[in-house]
Amino acid sequence: MRYGMVIDLKRCVGCNSCTLACRAEKGTPAGIFYHRVEKYEVGKYPNASMRFRPIPCMHCQEPACLEVCPTGATYKRPDGIVLIDHDKCMGCRYCILACPYDVRSSLKKIENYFGPGTVTPYETIKQKDFDKGTAVKCDFCVARLEQGRLPACVETCPATACFFGDLDDPESEVSRLIAFNRGTTLKEELGTKPSVYYING
Amino acid sequence: MTNKTAGNKKSSVKMNNSLPLGSGYQWRPLDPQEKGKRQTLFGICGACMQRDCGTLIRLQDGVVVRVEGNPDTPPNFGVLCARGNSQIMSLYNPYRVKSPMVRTNPAKGLDIDPMWKEVTWEEALSIITEKLKKIREKDPRGLVVCEGFGESGTILRSLFTAAYGTPNEIATHGPLCTIHYASSFVHGAMPEAIAEMEYCEYLLSLGRSLGPNFATAPAIRRFTKAMDRGMKLVVVDPHCSIEASKGEWVPIRPGSDLAFLLAMAHVMMSEGLQTDEWFLKNRTNAPYLIAPDGYYYRDPATNKPVMWDPVESQAKTFDSEFKDIALLGSYSINGVFCRTGYDLIKEEYAKYTPEWAEKICTVPAKTIRRISREFVEHAKIGSTIKIEDFTFPFRPASINTHRGVNGHRGGSYADLVGKIINMLVGNIEVPGGCVGNSYRGPLLEPDEDGVVKLRYQAKPYPFKYPPDTIDMHEYYPNKHSTPHLAVQAILNPEKYHIGYQVEAWLTMGSNPIRKNAEPDVYIEAFKKIPFHVSFAYHMDEPAILADIVLPAHSALESARCIAYRQPHQTTSADQAGMYMAYIRQPVPPVFHSRHTDDILMDLAERLGILYGLGGVYDRLNHTYNEPEPDNFTLKNSAYQLDINKKYTLEEIYDRQLKSWSHGNGRGLDELKRTGFVKFQGPRKHWYTYYFFPDNKTRHPFYFENQKKSGDTLRANLKKYNLKFPGIEDEEYVFEQYHAIPFWIENSEINAPPEYDLWVVNWKTPYYSHDQDNVGGNPWLAEISERDPFDAGIFLNSATAQQKGLQDGDTVTVASRYGKTSGRLRITELLHPDAVGIPGNHGMGTIQSNPLNRVGASFNSLLTLDEKTLDIISGGQELSPRVKIYKSGAIR
Repeated sequence: MRYGMVIDLKRCVGCNSCTLACRAEKGTPAGIFYHRVEKYEVGKYPNASMRFRPIPCMHCQEPACLEVCPTGATYKRPDGIVLIDHDKCMGCRYCILACPYDVRSSLKKIENYFGPGTVTPYETIKQKDFDKGTAVKCDFCVARLEQGRLPACVETCPATACFFGDLDDPESEVSRLIAFNRGTTLKEELGTKPSVYYING
Repeated sequence: MTNKTAGNKKSSVKMNNSLPLGSGYQWRPLDPQEKGKRQTLFGICGACMQRDCGTLIRLQDGVVVRVEGNPDTPPNFGVLCARGNSQIMSLYNPYRVKSPMVRTNPAKGLDIDPMWKEVTWEEALSIITEKLKKIREKDPRGLVVCEGFGESGTILRSLFTAAYGTPNEIATHGPLCTIHYASSFVHGAMPEAIAEMEYCEYLLSLGRSLGPNFATAPAIRRFTKAMDRGMKLVVVDPHCSIEASKGEWVPIRPGSDLAFLLAMAHVMMSEGLQTDEWFLKNRTNAPYLIAPDGYYYRDPATNKPVMWDPVESQAKTFDSEFKDIALLGSYSINGVFCRTGYDLIKEEYAKYTPEWAEKICTVPAKTIRRISREFVEHAKIGSTIKIEDFTFPFRPASINTHRGVNGHRGGSYADLVGKIINMLVGNIEVPGGCVGNSYRGPLLEPDEDGVVKLRYQAKPYPFKYPPDTIDMHEYYPNKHSTPHLAVQAILNPEKYHIGYQVEAWLTMGSNPIRKNAEPDVYIEAFKKIPFHVSFAYHMDEPAILADIVLPAHSALESARCIAYRQPHQTTSADQAGMYMAYIRQPVPPVFHSRHTDDILMDLAERLGILYGLGGVYDRLNHTYNEPEPDNFTLKNSAYQLDINKKYTLEEIYDRQLKSWSHGNGRGLDELKRTGFVKFQGPRKHWYTYYFFPDNKTRHPFYFENQKKSGDTLRANLKKYNLKFPGIEDEEYVFEQYHAIPFWIENSEINAPPEYDLWVVNWKTPYYSHDQDNVGGNPWLAEISERDPFDAGIFLNSATAQQKGLQDGDTVTVASRYGKTSGRLRITELLHPDAVGIPGNHGMGTIQSNPLNRVGASFNSLLTLDEKTLDIISGGQELSPRVKIYKSGAIR
């Protein structure tokens, strides 16, 4: 069993619903992104167009972040999900520098969206989950997975561009999508073996 | 090859703490009984004007912790856009108005503190009642109710306005989005006609969004499905949008779509392409014989229009048996020289060659010819498709125009030429083609001339002198909404022949200052109007100029119960024949706000217009919402209200539900358990061709009624010896009322040469409409700031180079009407003659969210000048000529 994600770049319309669903699900403080969508232009006028690439944590099989973690806070579960034990994290930021995908953040302080001193009731509840001074990142919505639900970014995608499932099962939707569409991963040359695949790029 | 990336900077949006004065920033204490509880409510999203996505609202300890798509509910089936996912921050928004307040400082301005005094609801409503009572006794027309998408959930506003007795209910959102007229005319449909994405194989999209451009979640679903199955998409637009990036982008100079469309019609009619001759002869008035005066030639005995039978060589009334029908030619009947409508149009369009159009719109002539050819080929003229037991013509190609095309002088002509192009392939109201998005039913019913009855905006408003309406409906009989005319009439009633003064203005979810042109003029009008009440979500521009502000619920706090309305952008099998009613269960209010309909009921009761004949309840019993007669009418229902007894909003919803024709008597209790109730009707009803098939009706191809509308207006002006307000040259008005749409120049084409560019606007995924102040939502603002395609001022790289401008420069964009400034972003995704300013930023007030005060304001570049309007719809010029320069540079 290895959880993984497939993102269809032909379908993605760059709407950032995934980014905002992630924000709402997790209640991440201002400035902290567990998920983002890279956007860029290709071509020259008039043969130009927009391109989009959603970037969650890659949940690598050989995570560069895990290798450098001096305290063992970053760990990989048997199902492939890479997590951070916030009790063990001492905030050294090695992992943030080591991650080639720039998906980890250091939670130096907890900033509120409406400025200091204005904590919404929503933020009050959500911020209980955060440990200042530690590294934070996408956890593939492990709490939702345990309830049999998909990660928030996958479920909300209006373009049906995101798929989630078991990469070890060759019959799963994600495995088939990767096989049929020659799925690729980002920065393959680094040997990190991401569990997030892109198709139709 | 990558020239720009979003990067992953981790800066946060900086906001200061200038909260509205007069009320402390206190959340309403949570109900201690909610502690430890988790609850899920059914919701309906409120984050765009469509506001139709079904949601689930998760609460923990009485606090909303998540808004998600409801996987069971059409049209979104569990998905949600960026704005929908961000609604929590609109609920817990500290910049909201929290209590009723009365101004104590008589001086009004966006940057002047009204010195609010907090009052009770009782006090506020008493003051309002006293003022509105006096005005009503004097002349009820003195009240203007200005509505907007912010409060489109209300079911009582229009009834309140009508019961009060004023004709002046004005929508703010109309003049920059005049998209209704041509579809009303040709489809008998309102609000518009859209692409049928279930079968469409070739979609030509101009000046519009099919969903992805501003992230309407259900439309993105439909878009993706259609693209997956190989639909060819051609986007003709100055800006290479998300949609254009997924299909073929054909850049066009802003404001020149009419030339492109005329050339396309020319190619289709005169360059040997196939047309749907059967459709033109049997389902349009194109073969009707036109007399030299431009009207139908009418049979002297029956007064009916006639067509020529070439086999029998004689003219016969349109409803006779024909051996064949002549589409072309001139015929002398009883000594009157007549020509077919088609013949006249073909001749007029003979001059609109692609070479002619290329000079105006910059689209190469060969591209116009190729697109025309592809469009005709994909339409599969002659093919049929069976839906259930009914055989339809199958025409899987559609052209759809929208606000970018229509928002210019001559815009209604452009919209109509789009319809002509569709009619040339016979794709109206059939699978794969162009279908209306009003309710589905016998909308194509013919009038006595055999042509689709005039409905909605195609039906002219009666002339009256002196005019009753402050928004000039008498002078613009086919207009959409016109706050831009109302504001001028308020400031200069004599010029507009208005015989009364506007003494009070109610703002409900609307904001003409920010959402229209020349804000200073609106501000002057608000200063002039003696009494202004704002039903306010936050301290926006109208609110800070109000005498009284009443805190209105945010979307999440507002109970709602609606029948599903057809979508705006596109439609597909998900919608075909589907009828649904669904509810929004309100979350606990955060401040002292109330539901707008509850406020209106209280106010109506105090004014004595709630009960009795002609009161709000009586009207609710007998009216229905015109575009959707299906939508919960109590008319002829067993659940009508007792007009002398007060009801709660929930009781009204319950009765509406029980009266609903598809509801099977189910009431609110059942919907509280299920969230929605759905009914699948026949899919064939989806295409209104079904109700009047074959030659049972005719679409207008020759727009005789448009000419009639203009001629009637001209005669009325003459009768009362009036000048058309604001326009000296009458021909400038009436050349827009011809029966054949033709090339006319918009106001910008001959601007002084220093204004060498055209500005264009587009909606963005984070800022489509401003319900619940989406523009001030910090989650969305944070994303927008990092998005290379979002906020800023955009310029093509070649143009920037010519002007010596660089990415990141602070630049000023100036039209002849106003200016704005912002950060320059250089792009390949824009026509070199265009300046792009997306979204609607800038302005704000000293008490508004600081996010509302930043960014380039596209609307500041627009004008109220009547001479720039599309005279039929009242639409404002959306692409003024501009110049761009580095801020600080002397010009």
